[in-house]
Amino acid sequence: MVFPHVVTKSRPNIGHNGGVTSTSLNYAARAPKINRPNSVAVGTIVWLGSEVMFFAGLFAIYFTLRSVAPDLWATHTATLNIPFSTVNTIILVASSFTCQFGVFAAERMQPRSVGPKPSQWGMVEWFFLTYTLGAMFVVGQIFEYATLVSEGISLSSDAYGSAFYLTTGFHGLHVTGGLIAFLLVIGRAYAVKTFTHKEATSAIVVSYYWHFVDVVWLGLFFVIYVLK
Amino acid sequence: MKANVVLFWIIAVFCFLLAGVYTFWSLVDPFHGYVEWVGTVALTLSGALGAFLAFYLGRVHKQQGAELPEDTLTANIDDGDPEIGFFSPWSWWPIILAGGGALVMLGLAVGIWIAFGGVALTVIAITGWTYEYYRGYHAR
Repeated sequence: MVFPHVVTKSRPNIGHNGGVTSTSLNYAARAPKINRPNSVAVGTIVWLGSEVMFFAGLFAIYFTLRSVAPDLWATHTATLNIPFSTVNTIILVASSFTCQFGVFAAERMQPRSVGPKPSQWGMVEWFFLTYTLGAMFVVGQIFEYATLVSEGISLSSDAYGSAFYLTTGFHGLHVTGGLIAFLLVIGRAYAVKTFTHKEATSAIVVSYYWHFVDVVWLGLFFVIYVLK
Repeated sequence: MKANVVLFWIIAVFCFLLAGVYTFWSLVDPFHGYVEWVGTVALTLSGALGAFLAFYLGRVHKQQGAELPEDTLTANIDDGDPEIGFFSPWSWWPIILAGGGALVMLGLAVGIWIAFGGVALTVIAITGWTYEYYRGYHAR
């Protein structure tokens, strides 16, 4: 079969238009500098925006059930262990601060520590500390769940149990996912010989997620344990 | 990018305002008379969503100090065609991750024991995808 448009000569069959320039002059010559934001960072923020609406649904469930069954709330909120959950909340908030110190280390392109003092720590050390604190929070949550189940409040016991475990449970799953993300970012820092912007970006977006989950917990803590 | 920031602030203010109107209206309505929580929470957090994006984009705009081609009258069409990111042309990990997610959902529907295997497969797929360009020929 012959394709008439296929040129089989050794010299490419490309001509030019003689005396004209290849493109006309355009506005680009005086266009301002284009400096796009990091698409990974903006994409993470937009996704966290959708997470806001996910938790909006959970908050709506909680408030609606509370408004239709106030007597259930009156009896069950008394069984909550406020000092315990306050300590747990402080642990999670502290983990957000250690996470941010890890981000500062990543932003100065320092994956590992250069000395024992915290001011000399790299991203990896701060993120290991953050992981430990986050894991303590999850363990605290599990302990709290076990205590509440032993007191007769379970996911299927009544509307209060459903609302309590759905809201705090989905939050706990988010924290667990964040812990896995921290391990992946720490592993990347160990995997490379030179820590680049790519690794720093993944560290920063995981910190966005972690701060978001922390703020959601503050909302949940206020609604479930303070407001009751 | 200024236009995006302003638009998201407008959305935030609008939703917060409507949340107030909605709550007030459900309280004064003689056929209702109490707070309707689904709408109030949804509208309030829609405002939070707008404020969240507006705040972040505002911060980015302030830090980078550059304009997008969409906001520049003198820009060309192809200025708005950026590099979106790096996507592996041949990776098998996304389909393995999809399989893990499908097993989790199947487990929730028909028997929770399937979900345990699905979670394990999901974690393996995420790890494999994350480190795909950190191993073997791509190690750096």
